[in-house]
Order: sequence, then C-alpha cells, then structure tokens
Amino acid sequence: MALPVWRQLRTELHPRGLEIVTVALDLEVDAARSWIERSGAEHPQLVDTAHVLDEVLGIVNVPTALWVDEDGTIVRPPHTAAVERYDFSKLKAPEGLPDDLDAHIRDMLEQVKRIPRFDADHYVEALRDWVERGSNSEYALTPDEVVRRSAPRSRAVAEAAAEFDLGQYLHHAGHVDDARAHFRAAHRLQPENWTYKRNAWELVSPGIQGPTEFYDGDWLADIKAAGPENYYASPGF
Amino acid sequence: MILDRLDVAPADLERQTGWELKPEGLCKDDRCFPLPADAGADGRLDVTVVADRLGMPLVHDERYGVWALGPESGDHVLTSAELPPIVLRDVDGRPFDLASLRGEKVLIAAWASW
Repeated sequence: MALPVWRQLRTELHPRGLEIVTVALDLEVDAARSWIERSGAEHPQLVDTAHVLDEVLGIVNVPTALWVDEDGTIVRPPHTAAVERYDFSKLKAPEGLPDDLDAHIRDMLEQVKRIPRFDADHYVEALRDWVERGSNSEYALTPDEVVRRSAPRSRAVAEAAAEFDLGQYLHHAGHVDDARAHFRAAHRLQPENWTYKRNAWELVSPGIQGPTEFYDGDWLADIKAAGPENYYASPGF
Repeated sequence: MILDRLDVAPADLERQTGWELKPEGLCKDDRCFPLPADAGADGRLDVTVVADRLGMPLVHDERYGVWALGPESGDHVLTSAELPPIVLRDVDGRPFDLASLRGEKVLIAAWASW
C-alpha cells in the first residue's frame, strides 16, 4: 500500500507547492477506512465508491496517478505510479495453509513476480523536477499530448462504465446480489479494467479474489489470460 | 449518470456529464451536437435522443427501473487537458471538490484496499 510513501512525498513537496490527493477506489468506504485513518496523512484522502475516476479519467488499475498544474490543466494523464520499492522475488506463501489454497497462492505469487516493476527513484525525480520547474520540466506534457496519451474510449469501454455505474448504484442501495449482473457485464465489456474486476471479486472472495459462482473470472485466471507482463502499462517516462 | 426516468433536466445533465444545452445543441469544450428542434420543448431532454446524438450507451435494470447513461465514446477519455469536474467524499462523507485546489500543483493518486 503506497499511502506512507505519498505521505512522505507530500511532507517533502508541499512546502514547494505540491498538494497530493489520494483516492481509494473502494466500493465500501469501510474497507479503506482503517488504511486512511492509520496513514497520518495531512493531505485530502478521498474514497471513490462509484469508480468515477475510471469513467472520467480512464483509470483501469492501481496505483495510478495524474498530475495537474496550478490552472487545473492535466500535465500527465493517468499513468502507473510506481513509488514503492518492493522485492517481490522473495515473496512466499504463508505456512500451514490447506493444500488447495496453498497451491492457488503459490500460483498467484508466481504471476506477481512476473508483473513488470518500474523505477520508483526515477518517478520521484521526475515529480520533483516538475514541482520545481513547472511547464519547463521535460515531464510536463503539452495539452495535445495529454489528450493523445489518455486512454481510448471505445463503445464497449463506455458501456462498461455505464454497467459498473448501475452495479454500484444497486450495490449501495442494498441490492448486492442484483448488482453482480452489472459488474459481470462491465468485466466482459472491459476485461482490461482491473479495478472493476478486483473490487467485485474482493467482495465475494476476500484476500485471494479466487474463482466463485458469481463471476466468470478471478485474479489468477485473468492475469494468466492477459499475461502478467500486461498488468501495468509503462508509466511512459 | 443514474436515471429513474428517461427524460432529464438540462441542468442535471450538465452537472453530471459536462454537456451543456445551448441554442446550437449540446456542447462540451469546443464540441456541439445539434438536437431535434423539439428536444427540450417541455424543459426536459429525452435521454434516448441525447444518448443517440452523443454516442452514449444507455443501460437498463428492468427490475429496479433504473438506467445508467454512460460517457460518450469513439475518441479518447480526455478530449481536453482541463481536469474534468470531480467531487468525491472523504471517509466521513464530507464532499471535496478537486477544483478547490486551483493555484497549487496537484498529484492525484488512485489506490485501493483490495
């Protein structure tokens, strides 16, 4: 979870004119609450219980960030925001699990190890450069480039957003079972959107997002199908 | 945008989708799509006409009698570099308008508990 890193960067860069806003893409506020309350952050910490950011900004996975200048102009559209330094090569399944769960988790970890990692130090250097130099920074893109680099929105992607919207509406109205048909439709229409899938899977299979009767896919099956190398787009620096 | 009927007040449409009703049609940034002459005659817009003209999906849940009008398609998600209007809530339910941060550089970081 990147919250401590964002907090640290905010402490460093707020005096130089940067505000950070963290947004949890969580259908359930309470799922995000303890992380937020424990973070100790002084910047705005918001919860997007409808995944509005997917629809209006084209976000499909986390962590994702975008940069906005003093005039409200986006200078880096949504991109994979690698700010954490992990050593995934040493990940291990917990001891003492039942055999089938143990095998499933081992298989998941093999996929996790093949997810591309991006250079966290370079990301932070680029951010510092933009905060210091503004539009003179090589990392601040022109408006045309921002639009060009934003996600394409096909008819299917737009329809996925509408289906997810109906799903979240029914979910929050207490019709949790009936919301799932719309989440399933969103998954089918935009299979590359991991936030639509993972948030829905988490609600029925917490922790491992494994196969259930409710959804056609699950984390392990879907990342194998998509290829772990495609899980995160390059941040484009 | 969630709807419980298939017509909408232009002000609601604008607040939720950014599309503004003008004499020349529905407009956003520098784009305008003309509407049939009688489209807003009674002060409300026919959502099926709006969806058709703007290329927006309209999906329905029959059991609960609700629709969702999705975003326009066929191009990129961003059609201008201006940050779209976004108001989200904190854990205590207080709304926060991202536009209130004008004057500062802002990094918006999406994460999740899952």
